[in-house]
Amino acid sequence: MIEQALVFVENLAFVSALRNSTFMYPLVNAGHIFGVALLVGGIVPLDLRLLGLWRQYPVMAFVDVLRVTSALGLALAVVCGALLFATAAADYTGSVLFRVKMALVFLGVSNALILEQVLKRQDIRGLPMKARMPLPLRAGALLSLVVWISALVLGRLLGYF
Amino acid sequence: MPHLRFTYLLGFAVLAAFLAASAAQAHHGWAWATDEEFEITGVVESARLGNPHGEVTIDVDGEAWVVEVGQPWRNDRVGLSKEMLSEGREITVHGHRSAREGERLVKAERVVIDGTNYDLYPDRDS
Repeated sequence: MIEQALVFVENLAFVSALRNSTFMYPLVNAGHIFGVALLVGGIVPLDLRLLGLWRQYPVMAFVDVLRVTSALGLALAVVCGALLFATAAADYTGSVLFRVKMALVFLGVSNALILEQVLKRQDIRGLPMKARMPLPLRAGALLSLVVWISALVLGRLLGYF
Repeated sequence: MPHLRFTYLLGFAVLAAFLAASAAQAHHGWAWATDEEFEITGVVESARLGNPHGEVTIDVDGEAWVVEVGQPWRNDRVGLSKEMLSEGREITVHGHRSAREGERLVKAERVVIDGTNYDLYPDRDS
């Protein structure tokens, strides 16, 4: 049943075209990397600020800007990643690395959504400039750092094993 | 400054992770294969052409070998198509085998089917 669905996806006309393309595949690949770069490149400084680095700069500047660029990067990475997945859906589904990576992405997104709720409830705008962030925020930021960097490394390993 | 030390530590951890990742056997390029020219003949079991590169599984005296052929444009350039790699076809592969001991994996420079040469890497000796 699942196998049939995966074969169906692989045989879709536009997926076959992508698999056999000269330029589209590397360009979609580049789009995926650009998305990951935006995502991780935003999330690392944001998490480090929440963990207590760069306290001389207002936390909300980090939150407001990097939350948006990271989310855009995630969206781009997911769209391009889904296309890359489709070209070899059965192989990827059978890969342990891929499954762990997907679990980490799911965990990372859930963690981000929870952090979003915590941010809404905790009035960190009202905190003094150099204040330490509330524990739930620091814990979420640390988890986020570990999860997204691990997902990136697993994604790269996928190409080699 | 304790914060600065934390940054260094994190930077070092990320760097270490990347070094570990790049030390893994890379299937792009030729670095993962031996320098020695290698030749093997077998019967096609299955073939999957397409990005990032095609993979043909061949049977050699009861053992399955995986042959890496080119990315789509490289296969198209010499006219190597899915039809020519249909099950049961005899194929001779010239290329380089994996440097990992016991791994039955070859990257093809040139393949021969029915006496016709398909030279995927004309710039390389094969």
